[in-house]
Amino acid sequence: MRIRKLLAATVTAVTALWLAAAPVAAKADVLDDVMKAKKIRIAVAMGIPLFAFVDKNVKATGSDVETARMLAKDMGVELELVEITNAARVPTVQTRKADLLIATLAITPERKKVIDFSVPYATLDIIVAAPADIAIKGYEDLVGKKIGLTRATVNDSLVTKNAKGAEILRFEDDATLITALVSGQVDIVSSQTTAIAAINERRTQSPLKVKFTQQELNLGMAMAQGEDRLREWVNKWIKTNVDNGRLNAVFSSFHDRDLPADLTSR
Amino acid sequence: MKYTFDFASLQEYWPEFLRGALMTLEMTAIATVLGMVIGVLCAIGRRGKRPWLAALCGAYVEVVRNTPYLIQIFFIFFGLASAGLKLPIFAAAILTMVFNVGAYTAEIVRAGMDTIHPGQIEAAEALGLSVPQIYWDVILRPALERVYPSLTGQFVLMMLSSSVTSQISAEELTGVANSVQSESFRSFETFIVVAVLYFLMAMLLKFAFFLVGQAMFPRRRRLGTPL
Repeated sequence: MRIRKLLAATVTAVTALWLAAAPVAAKADVLDDVMKAKKIRIAVAMGIPLFAFVDKNVKATGSDVETARMLAKDMGVELELVEITNAARVPTVQTRKADLLIATLAITPERKKVIDFSVPYATLDIIVAAPADIAIKGYEDLVGKKIGLTRATVNDSLVTKNAKGAEILRFEDDATLITALVSGQVDIVSSQTTAIAAINERRTQSPLKVKFTQQELNLGMAMAQGEDRLREWVNKWIKTNVDNGRLNAVFSSFHDRDLPADLTSR
Repeated sequence: MKYTFDFASLQEYWPEFLRGALMTLEMTAIATVLGMVIGVLCAIGRRGKRPWLAALCGAYVEVVRNTPYLIQIFFIFFGLASAGLKLPIFAAAILTMVFNVGAYTAEIVRAGMDTIHPGQIEAAEALGLSVPQIYWDVILRPALERVYPSLTGQFVLMMLSSSVTSQISAEELTGVANSVQSESFRSFETFIVVAVLYFLMAMLLKFAFFLVGQAMFPRRRRLGTPL
């Protein structure tokens, strides 16, 4: 009996604590928390060529990572990089495992229903590529062929929707996808232009050629819904730094192209 | 932390979950049979009189049991392709499972064989039983009966760890779950559903092993006592 009583008391206490903590967490303002802790947790998806990757000195870099560093510095707080996989991007924001996400995440209506986005801070062309001897002009040519892509990306939803009857191999991150292409497990890919360069560097026999562009995506920084103060701060920061060219400088140093002029008004 | 559960939005993905679960079960069934064969052969080889064969089987067991499954998957999947052998994903995933579980099975079976008293084997030889007869009736059947619980446990574990093959794009249950959560954005609910499905599948697998055990070990079926 005593054990049962003790157990009941424990359960009650834990529930009470949980209930007491719940409204506080829901009301808290992330921007205030960041300023108070002097630390911002920014999620990046590692293994995306040029955007977020590990360089020769095993140091995280890429345009997303450097943008995160610049943002934290301008905010005057310490940066904690939260390294995640592609499929974990939206859940990471939803469950507040990070305060902000800068992870090549395209702004889509579906995602907008569950998380909030900043104005675009960069763009990304997504394309279908294959060796020269495979004739592909559009989605209909993919039917019956093996195509590799990264799960939970816009590439995934576009190919899944438009190329019914294609055999889609979904890998968990770009790095695994690239290895699959380099080792020849799969020859056709839906990815970004930047990844193709990284693949062809190591895939010297039958290099990949861009077959068609699927879409130009606007990438946004993402935060949990209702964090309007953080979003306003981020929006202002992006606009300021696009206008003064600092964001473009970071972006073009990795991508060899400039950001579109009308980016933040998209 | 305020969270409203919404399982209803997962309803439309039900066929996908079933497809994934079915693929996991198929992979498990094939890998169990093949893994068992490899395991038994390897255990015999390791106990046998040929030193080179014993060393080979020993090396295989040690390599597999002392490296992570994920690394083995990448090694086989990308390694084979680099060598020019392109397997379909389904076959590649099963190959990695067999490669992995074969080594664990070998050790369990070997432990069972070690429990057979040498005197019994000598007695069988003295009675003029052939070598296959000795291996099957005197060594293997009682050995398997003794280690049957650990064997079935290992195969259930293999089914659970087959979730890792989603890394090489096998569309089994975990792969499906990752896709569903990225489309529905209900990750918590998705993984609860998947956890329940895995649990049910593990129970199903255990029941299947129980039936196989009843058929394979008539002594236990009749007496209901451990050997």
